[in-house]
Amino acid sequence: MDSITIGLWVTAGMLVLVVIGMRVAFAAGIAGLVGLILIFWSKKGFDPEDFGWALTVAIKTAGQVPHSKVSSQALSLIPTFILIGYLAYYAGLTKALFEAAKRWIAWVPGGLAVSTVFATAGFAAVSGASVATAAVFARIAIPEMLAVGYNKQFAAGVVAAGGTLASLIPPSAILVIYAIIVEQDVGKLLLAGFIPGAFSAVIYALLIVGIAVIFKNVGPPVTGFTWKERLVSLPPALPIVFVVVIIIFFVYNPFGDAWGTPTEGGALGAFVVFLMALFRGMRLSELKSALLETAKLTVMIFTIIWGVLIYVRFLGFADLPGVFADWISALPYPPMLILVCILLAYAVLGMFMDAIGMLLLTLPVVYPAVMALNGGEAVTAAESTFGMSGTMCAIWFGILVVKMAEFCLITPPIGLNCFVVAGVRPDLSVQDVFRGVMPFFVADAVTIALLVAFPGIVLYLPSLVG
Amino acid sequence: ATEWNASVWGKRRAFTEHVEKLAELVSEKTGGEFTINVSYGGLSKPKENLDGISIGAFEMAQFCAGYHRDKNRAITVLELPFLGVNNLDEEVAVSHAVYAHPAVQKEMEQWNARLLMTSPMPQYNLVGTGDPRDTLAEMDGMRVRATGGLGKAFEAVGGVPTSVPATEAYNAMESGVVDTVAFAQHAHLSFGTINRADWWTANLNPGTVNCPVVVNTDAYDALSDKERMALDESVEEAIAHYLANYGALLEKWDGVLAEKGVEKVMISDEVLAEFRAKAADPIRAAWIADMSAQGIPAQELYDLVMSTLDKQRMSN
Amino acid sequence: MAGHSSVLEDDSLLSRLDRRLLKFEQFLALLSGIAVFMLMVLAVISVGGRNLFNAPLPGYVDWIEQAMPLLAFMGIAYVQRDGTHIRMDILIGQLRGRALWLAELVSVVLILFLMIALVWGSWSHFQRSFDFGSPLWSRDSSIDIGLPIWPAKLLAPVAFSVLCLRLLIQIWGYGRAFVLGLKNPVAVPLIQDTATQAAAEAEQLDGRN
Ligand code: NA
Ligand code: NA
Repeated sequence: MDSITIGLWVTAGMLVLVVIGMRVAFAAGIAGLVGLILIFWSKKGFDPEDFGWALTVAIKTAGQVPHSKVSSQALSLIPTFILIGYLAYYAGLTKALFEAAKRWIAWVPGGLAVSTVFATAGFAAVSGASVATAAVFARIAIPEMLAVGYNKQFAAGVVAAGGTLASLIPPSAILVIYAIIVEQDVGKLLLAGFIPGAFSAVIYALLIVGIAVIFKNVGPPVTGFTWKERLVSLPPALPIVFVVVIIIFFVYNPFGDAWGTPTEGGALGAFVVFLMALFRGMRLSELKSALLETAKLTVMIFTIIWGVLIYVRFLGFADLPGVFADWISALPYPPMLILVCILLAYAVLGMFMDAIGMLLLTLPVVYPAVMALNGGEAVTAAESTFGMSGTMCAIWFGILVVKMAEFCLITPPIGLNCFVVAGVRPDLSVQDVFRGVMPFFVADAVTIALLVAFPGIVLYLPSLVG
Repeated sequence: ATEWNASVWGKRRAFTEHVEKLAELVSEKTGGEFTINVSYGGLSKPKENLDGISIGAFEMAQFCAGYHRDKNRAITVLELPFLGVNNLDEEVAVSHAVYAHPAVQKEMEQWNARLLMTSPMPQYNLVGTGDPRDTLAEMDGMRVRATGGLGKAFEAVGGVPTSVPATEAYNAMESGVVDTVAFAQHAHLSFGTINRADWWTANLNPGTVNCPVVVNTDAYDALSDKERMALDESVEEAIAHYLANYGALLEKWDGVLAEKGVEKVMISDEVLAEFRAKAADPIRAAWIADMSAQGIPAQELYDLVMSTLDKQRMSN
Repeated sequence: MAGHSSVLEDDSLLSRLDRRLLKFEQFLALLSGIAVFMLMVLAVISVGGRNLFNAPLPGYVDWIEQAMPLLAFMGIAYVQRDGTHIRMDILIGQLRGRALWLAELVSVVLILFLMIALVWGSWSHFQRSFDFGSPLWSRDSSIDIGLPIWPAKLLAPVAFSVLCLRLLIQIWGYGRAFVLGLKNPVAVPLIQDTATQAAAEAEQLDGRN
C-alpha cells in the first residue's frame, strides 16, 4: 500500500465516521492518528515487529499537534471576536443599530427588511459569528416586521440571510481560520472582506426592494419618522461606528499610518465594547455567562482545529495535497471551469457540513490545487491564469470560499441560520424559514458570480496595502 | 531503497537551497537508491523540528537555535551579538567548528540528533523609517523588532525591543509600532519591510541567527556505508551551492536599495566600538556566566569561535 | 454552536459522579473564559504602554502564545459533557432506543481510545520540554523573552485526562442505557430535535436587548 492509497482510505474512513455522527473534531483526530500509524508502518514494509514502533511514533507525532497548532498569536483573534459579539449584545448595541436603521431607511419599499439587512451588516462589523447574529436579529427585527404586516416567511428569510454577513464583514472568525490554514496575512484578508460584505448587503437590499415593489403585500414601507426622531436614534448607535473605526484603522488607515496591528485592533475593539457594556450596567453574573459562553464556543472551535490538523499532519506525511494539486492543474479543462466546479462542490458539501469543519478538512488539499491552477504561489499577475499574483489569488479564493460557506448556512437540509431563526420564533417552522430564505439564494448566486467575474471587488482594498 | 523525509518550512528559497541540493546529490551518487523528500511545513512546525527528529517522525530537519534557546543552549554562542562575523564564509566556518565541539554534540544527543551542516545567514542589519539612527543617542528610545539576544543588545543602548511576528513586521513598521526591523536581507525582501524603509545599516552587523540542519541519529546509523558516504560527501558541495546562490541575492541587494530609494547608512567605527562595549561585552559576559553555571563550557565555545574566525581570515 | 445542557440527573451514583465532575469542568471552562478576557487586557496594556510610555509589553507575542492552550483546551470536557462538540446528526438522529445507545457507545469508546493516545502523546511532548536539571526546569523556551514552555504544554495532557474521565462516565451511561434498554438515561447528553436545540440556544442570548 503506498502513501496515496493510505491517504484515500483514511480519508474515506473519516467521512464515514463523520456521516454516522461522530463528533467532527474526534473523527478527524482518529483518522489522522490511524493514518500516521499506517504511514510509519508502511515505511517498515508493514513488518509486524515494527508495529509497536510505528504506533509510538504516530502517537507522539499526533500528540504534538494540539499544543503546537493552538499556540499561535494569529489564532488569538478568534476568541476575541467571539467575545466582542457577546459583549455587544449586553451593551445594547444591537437594538440601537436596528432602531437607527429603521428610522432612516424604513420608508423604502420593503423598508424594515432593508433596515434589518443593513443593521445586520453593521452588527457584523463587531460580531465574528453568523449564527449569533441571526439569533439576535430574529428576536429584535422579526416582531417589528410582523407588526406592520410583513409576510412571516419573508421576514424570517431576511434575518437568516442577513446573519450570514457577519463572517464576510470583518471581524470574522472564519476568515482568520482561512488565513491560518493557507498561511496568508490575516490583516489583508480581513480587509478584503469589507467590500464583498457590503456588496452582499446591497444586493440583498436591492432584491428586497424588488420583491416588495412586485408583491405589494410582502413588505410595506414604514414612513412617518421625523428628522428629530432620526437624529436622536444616531447617538446610541454611534459606539458601533467607533469600534468599527478602531478595527479598520488598526488594519488600514486610508489617511496615513495604521494605528497598530490587526490583532491589537480586534482586542481593543472588544475592550471598548466591554467598557460600553459596563457603562450600561452589565452585571458580574452576565459577564461570567458571557465568558463561559465564549469559552464554550472557543473550545469547540479549537478542538475542531487541532483535531483536523492531526489529520492534516497525516496528509503532509502522505503528500496527498501535492499529488492532488498536480492532478488538478493537469486536467484538460479551462481553469475557470475547474474553479467554478470547486465552488459548486463546496455548495454541495456545505449542505451537510458546518463551515469551519468544511474549510479545515478541504483547504489543505484544495488550496494548493487552486494556487497551482493560477500558476503557483509566487506567480506574478502578468504570468498568472486568473490575472492576479499568488498572494492576491489566495485572498480572492479565500473570500469566495467564505462566501460559499456562508451560503451553506441558509441552504437546506442543514442550514444553521435557518434552524436558529426557527428556534427563536415558536410561530415559525424550519420549513417556513427555508421557504422565506429561498429568494436570497438568487442574491447569493449573483454575488458569487460577480465576485468571480470581477475580482477587483475583492482585491481593491488589499491592493492598497503594500 | 532508503527514503528520508526532510522537514523545513516556508517556501523553497535561498535559505533551503542546500537541503534541496543535498537531496539531489545524494540521489545522484547512489543511483536513486537513497532519496530525500524535502517537505515545506507539512511534517512539523519549525519550532518542533527537533521534537520530530527526537521522535523519529522524519530523518532530517532544519531549525534555528534562537527559536528555542533552552533546547540548544550551547549553539546559542553563535547568536551572541557583535561576534564580528563579516560574511557567509566566516559564518560557515565558525558554525561548523562549534558543531564539532563535543559539548554541542552531547546536547544534540538529547534530541537523538546529529548536526550535519549549517544554513549560514547574513547579519541582521536594520531597516528603519525617518532619519538614520547612526549614533547611540539616536538609538535611545528606538522601537526595534529584534528578538532574543539581538533585542537585548539594542536594549542595552536604550532601544525598546518590541515583539511582533515576522508576518506582521510590515504592518508594525507602517503603523509606527516599531521604528526599525532587524532581518537578514532575504527576509527584508519577503516580508516587505524594505518597501517601507528609508535607510539600511550596511555595517552595523549586530549578529544573526544560527540554523543547523540535523539528522536523526538512528536513521543515520542505519544507512549503508555507501549511502552514508554519499550523504557526508555531499555536504560541502551543498554548502558551496548555497553560498553561490545567496551570493547572487546579495549582489542584487545594492540594486534593490537604489530602486527603492533606501539610504545605505555606514556607522562610524567609534560608534560601533561604543555599541560593542555597551552591549556585546556585558551580554557575552552574562551568557558565559549563565551557561558555565549550567555545566556548558561557555568560555571554551566562545574562544573557539574567535580562534576559528582568526584562522579563517588568515587562510584568505 | 453552544448547545443547552440536555443531561438528565437523578440521585444514582452515576449521576452524582457526573455532577461532581461537572463542577470541576465548569471551573476549568471558566478559566478558559477568563483567559480570553486576559488576552484582551494584555492587548490594551501593550498598545497603551507603547503609545503612552514608549514601553511596549516585553514578549507580548510570547505571553499570548503561552495563554492560548489555556483557553483552547481547558473547557474541552465541559463541552463534551452536554454534547456541544459539532457533529452531523442526520443519521444518528434517526435511531431510537438500544440502536441509538449502541451507536453512541461505539462513538464514545473510539473517542476514548483517541484521547488516551493523545494524553500519552501530549505528555511526551511536555516531557521533552521539561528537565529537572535545568533552570526553571526548562528544556524549551519561547522565542523572544525565553519563557519556559513546559507549563503551557502540560495543559494539554491535563485537560485531555479530564476529558477521559468524562468519556468513562459517558461509556458507563450509554452502556447502562443499552443493557437496560432505558428511555431517558442520566449523565449523557440526549439528542434534542434541531428546533428544540435552536430554541435553547436562542434562550441563552435572552438577557436584555
Ligand atoms: Na463580522
Ligand atoms: Na446548508
